[in-house]
Parts: sequence; structure tokens; C-alpha cells
Amino acid sequence: MTAYIIRRLLLLPLIMFGVTLIVFSMMQLLGTDKLVTAYIPQSQIDRMTDEQIESVKDRYGLNDPLPLRYLNWLGKTLSGDLGWSIVGKQPTLTAILQRIPYTLELALYAIIPIIFVGIWLGIKSAVKHNSFTDNFIRIFALVGYSLPDFVFGLIILMVFYGVLGWFPPGNLSLWANQAIASDSFTTITHLTSIDALLNGRFDIFWDSVRHIIAPVITLAYLWWAFLLRITRSAMLEVMKKDYIRTARAKGLSEKVVINKHARRNALIPVTTVAGAMVIGLFIGTVFVETIFNRTGLGRFVADAATQLDYSSIMGSLLFYSMILVIGNLIIDILYAVIDPRIRLE
Amino acid sequence: MKKILVVLFVLSALVLSFAEIPNPDTIIKREIGEPQTLDPAYAYDTASGEVIFNIADNLIAYDGKALNEFVPMLSTVVPTVENGYMSEDGLTYTFVIREGVEFHNGNALTPEDVEYSFERNMLASQFGGPTWMYLEPLTGYQFLEQSVPPFVGVGEWSDLFNEDGSLKEEYREDMIAFYEEVIDPAVEVNGNEVTFNLEIPYGPFLNVLAHFSAWSVIIDKEWSIEQGAWDGNPDGWWKWHNLRTEDTTFYDNLMGTGPYELVEWDRTTQQVIMVRNDNYWREPAPVKNVVLKTITEWSTAKTAFEAGDIDIMTPDQQYMSQLRGREDEGIITVEGLTTISTDVIGFIWGINPDSKYIGSGRLDGEGIPTNFFADENVRKGFQHAFSYDAYIENVLEGQAIQPASALPKGLLGYSDEIDKPSFDLNAATNYFRRAFNGQLWNRGFKMTLVYNSGNDARQAAMEILRDNLAQINPRFQVEVRGVQWPDYVASRRSYTNPTNFFSWLADYPDPHNFISTYYNSDSGYYAAYMGDSYARFASLPQPEFGGVSLNDYIMMALEETNTQKRGMMYEKISKFAVDHAINLPVDQVLARKAYRDWLKGWERNPMQGNSDYFYILSKEE
Repeated sequence: MTAYIIRRLLLLPLIMFGVTLIVFSMMQLLGTDKLVTAYIPQSQIDRMTDEQIESVKDRYGLNDPLPLRYLNWLGKTLSGDLGWSIVGKQPTLTAILQRIPYTLELALYAIIPIIFVGIWLGIKSAVKHNSFTDNFIRIFALVGYSLPDFVFGLIILMVFYGVLGWFPPGNLSLWANQAIASDSFTTITHLTSIDALLNGRFDIFWDSVRHIIAPVITLAYLWWAFLLRITRSAMLEVMKKDYIRTARAKGLSEKVVINKHARRNALIPVTTVAGAMVIGLFIGTVFVETIFNRTGLGRFVADAATQLDYSSIMGSLLFYSMILVIGNLIIDILYAVIDPRIRLE
Repeated sequence: MKKILVVLFVLSALVLSFAEIPNPDTIIKREIGEPQTLDPAYAYDTASGEVIFNIADNLIAYDGKALNEFVPMLSTVVPTVENGYMSEDGLTYTFVIREGVEFHNGNALTPEDVEYSFERNMLASQFGGPTWMYLEPLTGYQFLEQSVPPFVGVGEWSDLFNEDGSLKEEYREDMIAFYEEVIDPAVEVNGNEVTFNLEIPYGPFLNVLAHFSAWSVIIDKEWSIEQGAWDGNPDGWWKWHNLRTEDTTFYDNLMGTGPYELVEWDRTTQQVIMVRNDNYWREPAPVKNVVLKTITEWSTAKTAFEAGDIDIMTPDQQYMSQLRGREDEGIITVEGLTTISTDVIGFIWGINPDSKYIGSGRLDGEGIPTNFFADENVRKGFQHAFSYDAYIENVLEGQAIQPASALPKGLLGYSDEIDKPSFDLNAATNYFRRAFNGQLWNRGFKMTLVYNSGNDARQAAMEILRDNLAQINPRFQVEVRGVQWPDYVASRRSYTNPTNFFSWLADYPDPHNFISTYYNSDSGYYAAYMGDSYARFASLPQPEFGGVSLNDYIMMALEETNTQKRGMMYEKISKFAVDHAINLPVDQVLARKAYRDWLKGWERNPMQGNSDYFYILSKEE
């Protein structure tokens, strides 16, 4: 097992090197005329002469040979200099780091209902195979799966904020924002709700939760169908196995058969999918963050993409690649822990 | 469970129905974007300007909604020839600085602060930034990149510097002399007065200095130097010149004498928070806090506005129907507000032969020649092929007017007497039959009209032209194509777009700002994109101007000090532009605003654009 993990860890720098090459090459396809916007805002470029634009290119090495530009960029990136984010209006690294907590907090809160309810629904559906419950759960989930996230998010926003006034958009209320910016509030984890608890500020904790419930409901409903289907089919597969029949033949109660023998084995493929889902959740919050006006990483990347903010796109791509690579590594290791056949290969 | 839900629903409805004004101490405005910078020498966008002119004051302000009448602000006088504070030749303007005014940090306002504010902005200026508006009248050049090299005796600005960006030692004395001989004499302190010495008479000079002009706000010299701004020393000023926007001293922090103080520009949560200046030299503002909150998604903004968590916003025109007629719900909408702006389809008189939008590049029915729009008949044909009323009514929901030329209604020289281009397919047909000696009509043409993707109004305008041209002659084949904004700008720069959509919002409410921009091929921002053929045309002596070229006549109008005579000159230029169909003026859009009825006192000067001055607003039942 240790050798397997070491092997995978050794591959990590190589994969990241490949990622930097791909990310850098993709951005170069835009051409140097567009890459100038990484250094000078488009509005200013509009007013510059061709000679001035050329001097900007010279100044920032955009006319250098490609390998040299790559090495310069890699050197800067490794030292933490990801350039200036036009969208974030601050250094790209700072912009990313300051937005991660909002996305992370959302993902963390969303994962709990998605995984527990999703798996529970999947098992329930499989156990009650072809019954009314099964059909109801499947239709309920299918609706969520079919709904565009943008539309469902808007419905949730209008009902829970527009009509009921319970769950407002944004990260925090104005007063709470001011409170966490004050000297009396200590930032520890950068996750507002957790920090509020650690500071004993239950009012801020509730305010933070109030702002996160609606996006969590949206994300959860959209992801339940995905997890439910995997769990249900895995469970149905396991329920047909000989050892389940044996367990039943031994006279074990149905509850024990399902919880002890069937569910555990059915969760092996689910674990892999759930892991990938957690990663997907972390990088797939663009629409939810936009609708609920949360200033997380998803929205930042979407803004960067629409404004062709070169530094922000490069920085975010690198960051996401890192999450994917490390996340997949963790999943592989977990999978190897759960299923010994993997590490023997 | 069901009962609990019903009870909760009813309670919520009750709470909502008896709710008092939400956030009574705070005005919350929805923005669609954050400021670019808070540095007055660099800020050239409305979002930045809005923050700056609420934090800092100018020497004078517009009198209510007037565009050419002023009231004192940090100056106690508005210079006029009559009161003796403006010279008869229009070359000196003197301001008496108000006493007893304090900056937010408690420092007293002095005439030296006024002198420093302008000198610092001129020296720190960015190429393409807003300071050209007083650099031009005060130094004769719009940018230091144009004035310093000839003063020092080098070819280019970059020739002054070593590769590491440091100044070449041999030019140090000349650079110091430039400050001492050009910049320093431009703004002089004399006792409690500050005098501006102009190089050329400049009609709009007071407009350039007036409130809502973020580039002319007054900052505290002592505090600025503490923050790392230019230290006031003639030796070394160039170190602060033309920096990257984010590297400038006041990028995210500014202090002035204004009614609000900046608390924070939080770029992560995309909010600007301001608090009332209780020591303001006038009565303090009625509302304690102002929050400018970026919400890009319309549905989210609308829901927050309906819930009362947003007090004021400027919705896009297409969403106004969702808010109109809801006064009984406390939603006020105002439409038809004057803007000093025009949108024009610019013809490129000399298209780049490498353009991929001109087909074969010849008059063979498979493309257009590069000088296609140099033919006046073609331009007039296009002008008559555009259905102005239908465009304004259907695409802009009637929220625009049609100007005759690129000069917007409301400015000096605008005249309703000038015939506007009309939609008339018969007239268009006649002009097209005459174009290129009849060859165009017989052979037809193929071309691509380009717009920047996402701009639905521009797309619609191009499609109207396409459809009408096809109706005139089936051999007139036009493709309409959307391209990304950076590509659009790049092809505009390289003259590869056969036409460009030009939009201009006034820097100051003076005809020069439009006439020069659209028609002066020497210095006009958009006129420069119309190609060499147009530059030749604009430099030719014209009988309409008594043998003077259009470019020269535009400069003569700028320097004319007699307002009436000046107005007539701009009228003549407008008529000339219409007669020669220089471009295709499409519309002058009208602005709109939506706010909750508990917000009182809202009014607007057209120069504010969509920005708001929070000092005049209060929140009450």
C-alpha cells in the first residue's frame, strides 16, 4: 500500500508539469495581441497606438521566444506570482485564495445532504425495487437531474427570498460583514460560519447559515439524482449476489442483510463516484454562486472567462488542475484501501 | 408539519407587510461592476467616478440640472469675464479657495492642495487616461508622451529611459525644466487664490473642472505624499508617470473633503462601503452609510430590490417592463432621462485590403473595394437604408432619439433645423444607382458587417441594414457576424471592419467632445479609425468653411470665445457632416433609473450618467 501511494505521489510533479505546459500553450493560442490585456486594461489599450502596444509587449516579454516565455512564467508561478487579476482587481493568487473559503464553505455544507440523502435514497429505492416508493424517488430525482441549475436556483431564490424572505443572497448581511471585519473578531479558518462559532458569535453563525441554505438546497437537489442512480444500481447488483442469498438463507433479518452485507459492498463504486462528485462540486458552483451572489471561485472563473482575463484564467486553471489531481489521488488511495485488488495490480 | 409550514408562511407574510424601511441608515445601490481605480488621475469609468465624486469635491459644481451654469463648491467663485476671475482672452481662470474646509483626516484645505491635485494628476497621468482634458488646454498637448519628447529633444518618450526603466542621466535637467517651465506655471497659487494659465482658449474648461469630473477632485497634498504619491519635487516626477493602474497611489484608497468617507473597497465581496463625513463643510449627508454592491445577475438584483435590500439601481432597458407601473408596491421608475451621448455607425473610408470582411476586395459582385465608403453615394445609400424609427421603437423600446449628426441634443450647436437622415428606400436606391458610376448597382456587392458579440442592439442594427439592403437590390448581400470584444477592437484598430459601431459618452458637456471625437481625423478618437481616405477629406479646404478644412475649422470652433458664434460654428459642422454623410448617426439613448419610494430627493444632472450623488438622498417613509 505504501509503495502504491509513493508511486502515485512521485507521478504528481510530472502530472503538474504537464498541466502547466497545457495551460500555458492553450493561452498562447490567443496570440500576443490579446495577452497584452493581462498587463494593461482593454479600455486603455483601445486608446493606445500600435507602437505603444508593441512597447508593452516588449516590456513584459511577450515578444520573447515561446520556451523563454514559458520558463519565465513557470518561474513566476512557482514563486507565487500569478500576475494581476483584472477581474479580481488584486494579485491573482490573492484573489483565488480570498474566494476559496466561500466556495469551500458552500461545498462542505452541500456535501453533507448530497451524500447522506443521496445514498439513503439510492438504497431505499433499490430495496423497494419497482415499488411506488422506488418510482417516486426516481421521478423526484429525475426532475432534479433534468432541471437546469440556473432555473432551479432562480426558483429557490424567488421562493425562499423573494416570497418568504428567509434566505437572502450574498455571503453575509451588512452588519455581519462589518462585525467580522472588526478587530474583535478573530479569523481562524476563513470559513465564516465556523469562525463565528469559534468566536462565540452565534448571530453571525446563523446569518452565515441563512445565506448558505438556499444555494445548498439548489446544489443538493441537482446532485441527488446522480448519486442516487449510482447507489441504486450498485445496490441492485449486490442484492443479486450469492452471498446475499446465503445471508438470507442463514435466517438473518432483512435489516442486517441490507445494512451489514449489501450496503457495505455497494458503497465501493459509490465512493469513487462520490469522490469525483466532491471535486466536481468544488469546481462546479459557477451558476449557483452567480444566482445567489456569492463571491466564490466559481463566479470568479466565470467572470475571468467572459472578460478574457488571462492571468485569472491561467491561475484558476492551475488551481483547479491541482484540486483535480490531488483529489483523484486521494480517491485512488481510498479506493485501494477499500478494494485490495486495486493495489495488487 | 403542514400546519407548521402554513404558520411560518403566514408569519413571514405578516412580517413583510408590516416591515419598516429596510436598513434605514444605509443606502444600498446595485452596481453591475466595480470601480477600475480610485485614483483621480487614472479613473475614466463611471463606476470609479461615482465613488470618487462622493468622497472628494471639485472647485465648482453644476447648478442643478444645468450643463453650462455652475455654482461654487471648494471655490467661492465661479470665474467669469464679468466678475473678473476669467480673462477676456479665455486664457486665465482664477478661483478663490473656500476657507474652513477640512479633509476627512482633519487637515485644512489650502490653495496648495488645489495646485498639487492638478499638477500631480498631470504628472502621474496615464496614456489614454482622463487627464488629457486639462493637459490639452494647460500645456497644448493631450499627453506627456506628446509634449515631453519635443521639449527634451528626443524622438519618443521611451528614448528618455534606460532598459531598467530609470531615466537616462543626460535628460534629468531637461525633465526638471519641463516641470518648472510647463507644468508648474500652468497652476499657480497667489494668496488664497489659484490661477489656471491656459495655452489655448478652451470653451469647456469649467466643465472639465466641475463636480462629477472625477479627474478634477481636490486631494490633500500632505496625506497624498504620506501615501507615496508624487512628493512635489521637480526632480523625479517621472517615476510616478503612466504607472500600471493597480500600481498607482490611490488605486484602492482615496481621501477628500466630500460628504462621504471611504471605509472599504472590498474586492472579494465586490462592495464599496462609505460612511458619512460628519465634519462636511456643508450640512452632513442625511444617510449615514452608502454601500455599492455588485450584483451581476439581473434576477438576483431584481429580487433583492423587490425585497427592499437594494434601494436604487439602473436596470438594463430590456428589464424595465418588469418594474414599470408598480408604484403601489413602492417601486419608482424614471425613464427618458437625457444622456449626453451618441451611437454612430462609422463608415471606414479606407478599409484594410487584408480584411476578411470585404470578400474579393473588388467591385465584382463578390466583395467591396477598400474605398467603398469613400463614395458619398454609398454612404448616403446606407444612411437612407436604415430604419431609424423602427430601431428606436423596437430595439431600444422607444428610449432614444435620433440625432442629425454625432452631436447630441442638448449641447451647444445642436439644431432641430438640420435635416436628419431619413429611412427612404427609394432615395437609397437612387444613391446606390449613382455609386461607382452605376457599376455597384449592376454588379452588386458582398460584405460582412461586424458587431461585438453580446451587444444585442448593435446586432439588431446591423441586421436591419442587411435586410433593407437586400430589399433594395438582391445583389446587395450582407452577412452579419458577431465577434468577441477584443477581436472587434483589434480589427477596428487595423481598419479591417468595414463599419464600426461607435458610442461616446460625454467627458464634458461641450460640442468639442463629440465633434472632435467623431470628425477630427487629426485628434478625434473615432475619426482616427476611419482610414486615410477620410483623413484626406477632413484635411481638404472646404467651401462650406470658407476654404478652411474640417479639421482646422473644428479647432477654430474650440478656440472661439464668443458662445453664440461658437454655437453657429458647431451647427455648421453638423450640417456639413449630414450633407456629406460622413457616418451614420443611429441614436442618442435615454437613461433610466429605478428606486424604492422611501428614497427621497433623487435627481440627476445629465453629466452624472448612471452614477448617483448620495449627498442629496435621504431615506424616510
